[in-house]
Amino acid sequence: MMTLKLQIVIGVAILVVLAILVNMIRRRSLELKYALVWILVLAALLAFDCAPALLTVVSGFLGIYAPVNMIFFLGFCFSLLIIFSLTVALSRLSNSVRTLDQAAALMEKRLRDLEQELEKERARNGEETDHHGM
Amino acid sequence: MKKLVIIPAYNESASIVRAVDDIRRNAPGFDYVVINDCSTDGTADVCLQNGLNYVDLPVNLGIGGAVQTGYLYGCRNGYDLAVQFDGDGQHDASYLERMAQELIRTESGMVIGSRFIEREGFQSSGLRRIGIRYFSLLIRLLTGKRVTDPTSGMRMVSRDVMEIYADSYPKDYPEPESVVAILRMGKKVTELPVVMREREEGQSSIAGLRSVYYMIKVTLAILMERLRR
Repeated sequence: MMTLKLQIVIGVAILVVLAILVNMIRRRSLELKYALVWILVLAALLAFDCAPALLTVVSGFLGIYAPVNMIFFLGFCFSLLIIFSLTVALSRLSNSVRTLDQAAALMEKRLRDLEQELEKERARNGEETDHHGM
Repeated sequence: MKKLVIIPAYNESASIVRAVDDIRRNAPGFDYVVINDCSTDGTADVCLQNGLNYVDLPVNLGIGGAVQTGYLYGCRNGYDLAVQFDGDGQHDASYLERMAQELIRTESGMVIGSRFIEREGFQSSGLRRIGIRYFSLLIRLLTGKRVTDPTSGMRMVSRDVMEIYADSYPKDYPEPESVVAILRMGKKVTELPVVMREREEGQSSIAGLRSVYYMIKVTLAILMERLRR
């Protein structure tokens, strides 16, 4: 079983991390959408830390002998969950980057073509006025 | 009939002008567009100085994304067919007109320039040929269709396939996978014998450990394509 000391240390650690997370979201350096899964994990950890009896109940339910193993197991599962959500986000992002890249390139080409056409047009007009001048 | 040649180019400043000349001389009925995939060797400058028609990608996308940019360009500018053509001197522009005729005559979605029908010209190295055979067999098992050269980079597509590819196209090593995708949609794929040269400049992107990745990735991609719809 966890000692009270360990409980307090873990609790404080979780609260500190949570505070950092919230501050980063507040300063908009972290997108709430992607921080959500972290907040959920921290909340779950905090719940288990405050009520270790809950841990015993759940690990008993899952047939895990030592509640500590359950912590490791849960931590592993949560980590996988977070990594997976990152992979999904990365896939979406790489598709967005591709679409944007292509759109920007095609736009730049149209702009370049238009500029060239404009230059030609100007040159032609310039010649005409010269002729009138003479 | 508006016909487009898409030339994906990554670090091909030494051969790109020659490729465009080849098209102008031997395929005069075609327009062309160079897709510069964020080259680091000044390919964009070469294009600009020689007055080539080119699109300049600001971020490197890889061959799939570059070719797809060409399909997007083709769709937006009202082309009826588009052909992919390598800028490194492997392909011969004098085949393009014949491929276009074949595409129209057979009402195909795609015409592939195949090295392995007449077995002439550069036949790729031994191990690579085995890889190509394997993909050919895989495609036959999964779709029942015979494609002798599924990795050929010389491929002409009709307007409807152009639109499909503009919407979705694999990012890397796209050739075999994208053939399966349109076969599954019921498009017709025909092949025309062509002779290819050994590349003049640059290296194949598929060598060493990459070829292992290539085999696994493309195999999975083809299987995934079979699972779609």
